Amino acid sequence: MELASLGNPVDSALVALLVPLGAALCIAILSPLRRRGKLAGWLSVLAALVALAASSLLLFRWQGGLGPELFELRWLPRAGGTLARVGVRVDGISVVMLTVVTLVATCVQVFSLGYMSGEPGPALGRYFAYHSLFIFSMSLLVLAPNLLVFLIGWELVGLTSYLLIGFYYQKPSAARAAVKAFWTTKFADMGLFAAVVLLFAWTGDFSWEVPLSPQQASLITLLLFLAVMGKSAQFPLHVWLPDAMEGPTPVSALLHAATMVAAGVYLIVRTGPLFSQAPDTLTLMAYLGSFTALFAAVIAVVQTDIKRVLAYSTCSQLGYMVAGLGAGSVMSGFFHLTTHAAFKALLFLAAGSVIHAVGSNELGDMGGLARRMRLTTTVFVIGALALAGVPLFAGFFSKDFILETVFNQKLWLPLGALLLSGFLTAFYMGRVIALAFFGTPSSKAEHAHESGPTMALPLIALAFLSVAVGWLGPRMAEMIQADYAFHLTPVGAAATLLALGGLFFAWLVYARRAVPSSVLAWFAPIGEVARSGALDRLYGFAFRRVVLGVAALAGWFDRYIVDGLMNFIAWLAIVTGQRLRRIQTGNVLDYVYAVVAGAALLIAWGMVR
Amino acid sequence: MTGIPLVSIMVGAPFAAAVLLLMVPDRVRLLVRLVAFAGAATALAASIAVATGYDLEAGGVQLVENYPLVPSIGVSLRLGVDGWAVSLVLLTGIIIVTGVLASWTLENRAKEFFVFLLTLVAGVFGVFVSQDLFIFFLFYEIAVLPMYLLIGIWGSSHKITEAGPFRFVWKLFDIGGREYAAMKLTLMLLIGSAFILVVILAMYVAAGSQSFDFAVLGRTQYSRGMQLWAFPLLWLGFGSLGGVFPFHTWSPDGHASAPTAVSMLHAGVLMKLGAFGVLRIGVMMMPQGALAWAPLVGTIAVVNIVYGALSAMSQSDLKYIVAYSSVSHMGVVMLGIATLTPEGWNGAVYQMFAHGIMTGLFFALVGLVYERAHTRAVPKMGGFARAMPGAAVFFTIAALSSLGLPGTAGFVAEFLVFVGAWQSAHPWWVVPGLLGAFITAVYVLRAARAIFWGPGPSEEFHLTDARRTEWGALVALGSALILFGCWPALVLDFIDRTTPAYLGSVLASYSPPRHTPPRLVSSIAPSLRP
Repeated sequence: MELASLGNPVDSALVALLVPLGAALCIAILSPLRRRGKLAGWLSVLAALVALAASSLLLFRWQGGLGPELFELRWLPRAGGTLARVGVRVDGISVVMLTVVTLVATCVQVFSLGYMSGEPGPALGRYFAYHSLFIFSMSLLVLAPNLLVFLIGWELVGLTSYLLIGFYYQKPSAARAAVKAFWTTKFADMGLFAAVVLLFAWTGDFSWEVPLSPQQASLITLLLFLAVMGKSAQFPLHVWLPDAMEGPTPVSALLHAATMVAAGVYLIVRTGPLFSQAPDTLTLMAYLGSFTALFAAVIAVVQTDIKRVLAYSTCSQLGYMVAGLGAGSVMSGFFHLTTHAAFKALLFLAAGSVIHAVGSNELGDMGGLARRMRLTTTVFVIGALALAGVPLFAGFFSKDFILETVFNQKLWLPLGALLLSGFLTAFYMGRVIALAFFGTPSSKAEHAHESGPTMALPLIALAFLSVAVGWLGPRMAEMIQADYAFHLTPVGAAATLLALGGLFFAWLVYARRAVPSSVLAWFAPIGEVARSGALDRLYGFAFRRVVLGVAALAGWFDRYIVDGLMNFIAWLAIVTGQRLRRIQTGNVLDYVYAVVAGAALLIAWGMVR
Repeated sequence: MTGIPLVSIMVGAPFAAAVLLLMVPDRVRLLVRLVAFAGAATALAASIAVATGYDLEAGGVQLVENYPLVPSIGVSLRLGVDGWAVSLVLLTGIIIVTGVLASWTLENRAKEFFVFLLTLVAGVFGVFVSQDLFIFFLFYEIAVLPMYLLIGIWGSSHKITEAGPFRFVWKLFDIGGREYAAMKLTLMLLIGSAFILVVILAMYVAAGSQSFDFAVLGRTQYSRGMQLWAFPLLWLGFGSLGGVFPFHTWSPDGHASAPTAVSMLHAGVLMKLGAFGVLRIGVMMMPQGALAWAPLVGTIAVVNIVYGALSAMSQSDLKYIVAYSSVSHMGVVMLGIATLTPEGWNGAVYQMFAHGIMTGLFFALVGLVYERAHTRAVPKMGGFARAMPGAAVFFTIAALSSLGLPGTAGFVAEFLVFVGAWQSAHPWWVVPGLLGAFITAVYVLRAARAIFWGPGPSEEFHLTDARRTEWGALVALGSALILFGCWPALVLDFIDRTTPAYLGSVLASYSPPRHTPPRLVSSIAPSLRP
């Protein structure tokens, strides 16, 4: 069927973009709607469904090989002409990403209807307004026709992230986490802002499809990568992501696992033409990404909060994506982004289902849930297997392609780090499964039971995707015009063995308790370091002592030196006036003396001349 | 062209309302408020009419009215608007209407308060539309002087700890008192005015002592020597009102002591008079001086940005936080001016507009919170969002515009200024500029968290959300921030209509920055590495 017969692709994209915005505005402005939270929720879900339908239409009707479809409006004038435009760009990359976003968002919103049902009406309305705003902002970013619009969407998703992390704003830890997330990402966003400014100064436009000199390309891509490090939680700017788990669990699933944190990876994919001109940046990405993958995986092993395990796992997987992109393959990073979106959203929602049932995030409060929550257990295991990279599940294919790419580029150190973190990934997921779903139930877990259909349906849908998306690689490669084929390579085989080994080892340690504690004691120092949160404390110290210290100094300087000087000048004027006033004694003789003295001086002066 | 003298109506309406108010008995408070509101609303309506009446195609100075005043020395009441003035009178109209709404409940000598407030606003409108330097200066003083009474009578005092190397001045001055704040503000601004007056007289003489007309004075070629001394005098003279470091210190004390509507007007539009003066008189009449001094102007501007932001971070009094943020944001305006690029100038004027609305909203909220909580000490607050969700929402909107979030007017302005700064002769200005934007994010969100988030609020505060007229002010300002952030061309088109011609006259050898159309590499890159 012809594209034209189904309407303009730009129209579909605009529908996907603007309907959630409309829903957000309606909920925000119409206060009766907002107060009746359930109604707002259904409106928000409806908007997400419309967006999903529009993007599915694009996905199924989009024929690879068509050029990008652009729709742009003049936004900023400059000397009578145009400085910047806003609009949408529909091409393979944006359509794939848009589908991922709307699909996961719809699942998460439906899940939220059940998960958040205990909230009071106005709070629920606020929640769904933020959610719809997020879908709009994310779609804006995804469909951006130029880097400026990308920046706008990028900052807006940061805003919604801030608002949603701080959803329970009366909880001090949530308030702190929200602000910390905003500051950290805003710091990194300065890189994107600067890159946009530089790009404009050098090319007169905001397009990423421009040739640059090697130095220019390096600088711009490094600045872009700084932004990626913040948003996609790469070491050392990952510190906000674990704390972001203070938000409601569906938020963690949508923003802080599947889509928003992947925006950084998407930025690299999107601006591929720039990054392909900067091999040094790519190499840096390969090393930093693989280090993050390993570093976060180690920390994930020692976490006792199920959401924090998953949060560190997200950091680690984003590290994989960045490493894959650094190795030069757009497809590898982007493919892992899509599969990860499916299974990590699934894992978070399943964890949410567990938390909803148990009333706690702590693994210690769970245990033995397999018998009480069959569906949740099943889907969680599917998600875990996909994450661990067990063959036939989605994560296997995408991770395998990343490893293959890194191997082909002969990046041995990153390859080793990625393989090792693959083992750790399987190990920590095995640990979570063993601790949460098997073993003896804690007192809190004894009365756990499944929740209603609004929570079950999204889990089933995402579980299906966690298997299916892995097989869609060739189709996706065709859409983004990249090369992809699945090969069985020695690296892939090694990774598979490591993954299975990790699961087995976790089973030995946590389910069978078969490993002697003396062996486990060898790893205790690593655990200590991983638990210490040294980086967090360093940043905290730097903020409190250095930043606030300098600020206090500036405040003091302004009040007592700069303003003090102004006061001193005024003081001087008054004091001088008071002194001079004494000349006016009112005694006539004094004035006569003065006149005489003055006359004498004048005469003397005349004689000397 | 219609026969209605729109510009005179705009300037005259607040003044007429002030005169009318004198005849209204003080007891009939509602009437006092209604007359004040009518004056403000007429001015806003006239400013909107001016904007719609301005022909974007034609550009230049339009809606000119000319009434000879003192023909013997060439003074005439010559009014007219260019694109910049259009945007700034719109701002003034918005701020005065919302300012009247925000001080609706004022009890103490309401009549006199509104008389002075409206007189001040008439002066502000007058400055923006003057096309005659004598009148310009007259309106400038009309705008500045009522501030003394407004702060001195209706202001508030606070305690400033006695410390530092100049602690002996405490013996003489009641530092932190409202009379002190009023006196400091007036004296510093008047000293600035003295500088300006010197240059005005010098220009008048150099131009042949015939006329104060902007067009005549603008055409005159002043000697390079004169420009080199005249520009810094204008920069510092107007700059003291524009918050230029180190002559900004009247502003935190003044804003902190002033009542709500006065803070709104003062930070919202009055500080813009200073920046406008630097740009319209300083840079444009003394182009060679401006070119020579631009490096210092821009460098001081980035000092303003970073120093103001750091100082704001160290404050615990809410009004001081907002006041110092104005010092920081006015630095962005001055930076835009110093870039001498079309983007920078557009950004500078747009920042005047955006910051005016943003800080107006901030001060309206500060007044609202203070009226209920009876404290401005941020550490004592917490959890206010539960009792006053509306205030929390609008504070967040103002905070986001302040830190330059896209979708708010603040982003557009900062973006343009930084684009301009990078293309200027001193691209390094961008670095402290960006740093200041980040520090802003730190302190405004820190304040928002401390006031509105967290557990609470404590019972002692008896908080209630905004009331009817206050809602009007908040909604108008908040939605304006978002509207002009999403659709900047509404105002930016006016600004941009004026900028190129004016900048062109300053840069005799004006050539646009490199604008080669980019070649496409490939529509997508399937592989990053070869």
